[in-house]
Amino acid sequence: MKVLAEALTNILVPLGFIFLLVSLKKKSLQPIATLFFRIIVGGVLLTAGYLKAGNNAEARMAVQAYKILPNTLAANLGYALPWIEIAVGILILLGAFVKYSGLVAALLMAIFVIAISQAWARGLSIDCGCFGGGGKVAAGQTKYLQEIARDTGLMALGIYLFRNPRGILGLDK
Amino acid sequence: MAEAKKKDNFVRNLIVVSVVVIVAFTGIYKVSSNKKVNANAAIPKAASASEGYGLVYNPSAKVKIDIFEDFQCPICQTFEGINNKYINDLVKSGKAKVVFHPMTFIGPESILAANMSACAADSGKFLEAHANIYANQPSKENSGTMTNNYLFLLGTSVGITDSSFSKCVNEGKYADWTKLVEADAAKRGVNATPTVFVNGKELDRNTQYMDPEKFKKAMTDAGVK
Repeated sequence: MKVLAEALTNILVPLGFIFLLVSLKKKSLQPIATLFFRIIVGGVLLTAGYLKAGNNAEARMAVQAYKILPNTLAANLGYALPWIEIAVGILILLGAFVKYSGLVAALLMAIFVIAISQAWARGLSIDCGCFGGGGKVAAGQTKYLQEIARDTGLMALGIYLFRNPRGILGLDK
Repeated sequence: MAEAKKKDNFVRNLIVVSVVVIVAFTGIYKVSSNKKVNANAAIPKAASASEGYGLVYNPSAKVKIDIFEDFQCPICQTFEGINNKYINDLVKSGKAKVVFHPMTFIGPESILAANMSACAADSGKFLEAHANIYANQPSKENSGTMTNNYLFLLGTSVGITDSSFSKCVNEGKYADWTKLVEADAAKRGVNATPTVFVNGKELDRNTQYMDPEKFKKAMTDAGVK
């Protein structure tokens, strides 16, 4: 499941990013772009949250592996994060408060990018734990660049949603 | 028009609040029920609350070695293959205080295995059972291979004859105890397996885990004679 979700995300995010560049040029595409990005960002968050929510121990280990926060705080963040992602993901998919739920998604991604970058810069060998799993990996098996690129792409889509929250389908009126 | 707009937002807001409340409550319920430990949880004889509920051997020895591992973790199996003989030596000769912390983050079969190891500890056969579980670690995690019956046979094949062993394994007597072990590991920030601390200091993952000479040297440097 983790591998599948990761692979699908790695395809969808670049597609979304290309569409983002196109729709910035061609403004008439905006409503469909907003819907498309809502599906990507919301879907990724919901999936990532769901895959992590079933395993407390693994989730807290993944956050602790970043070695940023004190152990207890990191553990609690690990327990809470999947559920935050699920809630934000559902709201974006439903098209509710897209302006702010898109902003929260972008902020989450910004935090992830910073966290992964510092792990890379400090020479830690960890998996981002984005879709479950996580924690230390062998020195040659890190995928920092890919993880950062993916989260940066999602952040860009989240910012687009913040700036263009109105699209087709959705609860926002 | 204004009236209609207000009404529309009411529905949306209602849905938003419901989603947030439902997700928040589900999350809090799931996390806390997963962590909750029965107040009368059985604790293995060798376990000590002051050592994070790990299984303690040679409590009065000067040098302390904490080993955190998960019976389903393949790297733990490798580690075991490399250092098992030496660690068993330390336990049997009394040269070091060795504390085993069986973690269970890989899933349900890790809980079954940890439970069995604790049952074996009660029967005085922890080291043997521990080695035998690794020797027979299924190639896939949580694949349904490592059942209580599978584990029971791994125990009896290393000579556990106690009549209570079967009951202990099959009833998951120490399943709740594994939550206590995990809670301590969370407090200490153990985020990978195997993790080894010598006198509270973690070994260097890049060099000291998988090289038997360096592993030994780390122990002798810490005062193991």
